[in-house]
Amino acid sequence: MEEKLISHQNMISLVSDLIKANHLVIGQDDKSIGWKRIADAAEIKINHSGIPSNVSYKEFVFAKTEPIFYYKNKKDDFDLVEPNLEERKIVFLGSKPCDARSIEIMSKVFNWDYKDKFFNQRAENSIIFGVACNYQDEFCFCTSVGLTPTTENGSDIFLVPLAENNYAFRIVTDKGKDFIKPYEKYLSDGNSNLSTEALSKIKHPEKRFESEKVRKWITGNFEHKLFDKVGETCLGCGQCAFVCPVCHCFDIVDEECNYSCGRRMKNWDACQFGLFTLHGSGHNPRDNQGKRYRQRIAHKFKYYTDKFDEILCTGCGRCSRGCPVGIDIAAVASEINFVANQV
Amino acid sequence: MGESNIYKPELMEVTEIIDETIDTRTFRLQFKDKELAKNFSFKAGQFGEYSMFGEGESTFCIASSPTRPEYIECSFKQIGKVTSSMRRLSVGDTIGFRGPYGNYFPVEEMKGKNVLFIAGGIGLAPVRCVIWNVLDLRDQFKDITIVYGARSFNDLVYKRELKEWKERKDIKTVVTLDPGGEVPDWDGEIGFVPAIVEKTAPKSENTVAIVCGPPIMIKFTIPVLTKLGFKEENIITTLENRMKCGLGKCGRCNVGNVYVCKDGPVFTYAQMKDLPQEY
Amino acid sequence: MNELREKAKELLNAGTVKVIIGYAESTTPNRTKPIIVRTIEDADKLVFNKFCVNNLAIYLTRKEYKNKGTVGIVAKGCDVKAIVQLIQENQINKDDIYIIGVNCSGVVSELGQEFSSETIATKCLNCSVRTPHLHHTLIGAIEEMPKRNDHNFETMQKLEAMSSDQKWNFWEAEFERCVKCYACRQACPLCYCERCIADKSIPRWIESSAHTRGNFSWNIIRAFHLAGRCIGCNECERACPAEIPLSLLNRKMGMVAKKEFDYTAGIGLDTPTLVGTYDVNDREEFIK
Repeated sequence: MEEKLISHQNMISLVSDLIKANHLVIGQDDKSIGWKRIADAAEIKINHSGIPSNVSYKEFVFAKTEPIFYYKNKKDDFDLVEPNLEERKIVFLGSKPCDARSIEIMSKVFNWDYKDKFFNQRAENSIIFGVACNYQDEFCFCTSVGLTPTTENGSDIFLVPLAENNYAFRIVTDKGKDFIKPYEKYLSDGNSNLSTEALSKIKHPEKRFESEKVRKWITGNFEHKLFDKVGETCLGCGQCAFVCPVCHCFDIVDEECNYSCGRRMKNWDACQFGLFTLHGSGHNPRDNQGKRYRQRIAHKFKYYTDKFDEILCTGCGRCSRGCPVGIDIAAVASEINFVANQV
Repeated sequence: MGESNIYKPELMEVTEIIDETIDTRTFRLQFKDKELAKNFSFKAGQFGEYSMFGEGESTFCIASSPTRPEYIECSFKQIGKVTSSMRRLSVGDTIGFRGPYGNYFPVEEMKGKNVLFIAGGIGLAPVRCVIWNVLDLRDQFKDITIVYGARSFNDLVYKRELKEWKERKDIKTVVTLDPGGEVPDWDGEIGFVPAIVEKTAPKSENTVAIVCGPPIMIKFTIPVLTKLGFKEENIITTLENRMKCGLGKCGRCNVGNVYVCKDGPVFTYAQMKDLPQEY
Repeated sequence: MNELREKAKELLNAGTVKVIIGYAESTTPNRTKPIIVRTIEDADKLVFNKFCVNNLAIYLTRKEYKNKGTVGIVAKGCDVKAIVQLIQENQINKDDIYIIGVNCSGVVSELGQEFSSETIATKCLNCSVRTPHLHHTLIGAIEEMPKRNDHNFETMQKLEAMSSDQKWNFWEAEFERCVKCYACRQACPLCYCERCIADKSIPRWIESSAHTRGNFSWNIIRAFHLAGRCIGCNECERACPAEIPLSLLNRKMGMVAKKEFDYTAGIGLDTPTLVGTYDVNDREEFIK
């Protein structure tokens, strides 16, 4: 790892160059709702001490809606046409550690056996400028899922806010190193003592639960009343899945443009929806909200870990912050820990 | 990027349409691309995603036998958007297909053994695929018994084949209808599948049982098989869950941590017993 | 607080109600969350404060509670509007619910905030039902309510002044963020359809994709389905992760209903519903 230094002014120049080089620079929007393409370098906002955006930036890698092919009807036959894929580099600017790992985590499911090129192409083109996180509220729980506010893993470049609007500019991966080469003029020599000191001042959220305990507990407690209790007030709105940086379930639907052509779309979907698992026969294996919530917890802390050795959660707390009925996933996991400890 | 598009189907032509029941139809399909048709292979029990462009995709098992690789067949009931539009197709029309996906019945390991097929309703479709696979290699298997039941005479699928199987001397075929579902000249059994299995009493020694049908039928058939001495690992069934991708990505077909589309759809009862009730 | 808990225990003990839908303290400050109380023990978790934003009427149309004995519900005036509307629309039976009405002096707009004149919810600003207009028992007292300008109304006025193109651009930018999670629908007490039009696929009326066309058709059709029915609790807006100002649409619809038909949703238990009645003298000025 190499340590450099960049001033805020140079950061603006760097971003300006990146935009000119026709890279897609993705930054957080002003209202902290979501992420958007930055058109003007002066607008950049590196959110290291503010609340995470409502919605994560996963849509730029795992699109909320995208065509997977187009079809054209010719007399008795069809032409299937591949969509064009985004070939530009996608630069995520100011990704907190709880976002920075999201692409790596999701790439496991998009690559076991069958490879999803739509995800992969964008994932490979992504350059992640992570930033040490100096924000913490009662919903943050990165430390319960193996991350910390200073985790560099997942970032290609890692920024550490220093005094006087400077950032320590740590080059974490080879991908980051290659990418930044043409722009080295904006970097000056870094002093790792400064960044180490800055990092040491960052408070880590208290660990709220052991995810391994949740994983083990679910196996024998699939029918536990705890899930029904959550399901009782859960509205099944699915905002939790849509704001989550690693929820990746999707739907496939066709859209007609007219009588002779159309496209097949891959759209975000959520396990909290009743229709998600509804069979054609009318049978539904997850026929109440408790079962659907169990799927959410189990997928995150058990199934994904069993299959891919990753926790499908980064502890960003978005789902809990946004839940209209106050369901806090970390509180549920903590309760599971508590129940598991009782036995 | 050289990666292929895993969601893009291949085009197939509907070459034959057979009406099974009032709402169930069988399509015979052949790949339009000759090269692909030559190289395509699958195993008994695998499934595919069938596309109607502009409507969507539906998941059905491949109901024909891998010993007849020049075509595939699927049987479907008209239920939703895709199956309704499939019903409007005629011979010569085009349909999309992705597959084959999932695991398969252990036909290789079944060689040299007796095979008992038990099916209910449209659950005969995945079983039929194995039946023809086994019948096409008849001399490699020992005794073959088929027990098939449906709610009523009109609900029996593959009627012409049932007749053919009944007439064959080298297999035993029992067809039953639920009480009240028979027609005046019905010459088969009357009664629910589990009871008929018990009555037929196939031997369990060196026998593999393949069971597909509605959950309620499976639920009551398994104790009968256990009573007859079948081992849990010799009772094999297929699970169905709603699917979209068939590729282990879209996240809806899992039963606990098992993805039906990739770890299934074929499971032994020994495996099923450990799964949570989520199917 | 004690008043509420004692009342809840009394109702449960007497068997007047089987369950009480109410608010409980959350694990995090300045928040509450819905709770379904079935036991005396749980009744002690009930609270009512400035953070009881949720409209609990949403739970009344759930299968678990419908036609399964009397359900108690802790309700502010605005929640009672939803209850009245649901009764008018024959979704719940008046005799199947027991309303524990609470006098309300405003709630926060977003959970987690301190309550102040800055954070008081828009719906509270012009509230006409601080004492619930329908209740079986009433608790709490009316206190002074903080005042602030109605920014939402100011935005509405700005929108009114815009040309069609400008309006389109405004909404296009807002809907752009829609992720099609349907949290707006799920949080809405009046969105009780067993099968929402958005979930119907034969034919598919509303494209499920979160692109401009799909987002417009969903959000506009939902607004129309709520015209003359929306009681203005703003739960849709609060649930929306993309912070789309849905209240601007719903409030506009409500104002049209008021102006054209002198109708306010959720007020009169015996008034027929706006969309369920027809009068030859109805004005049609809103159709353009």
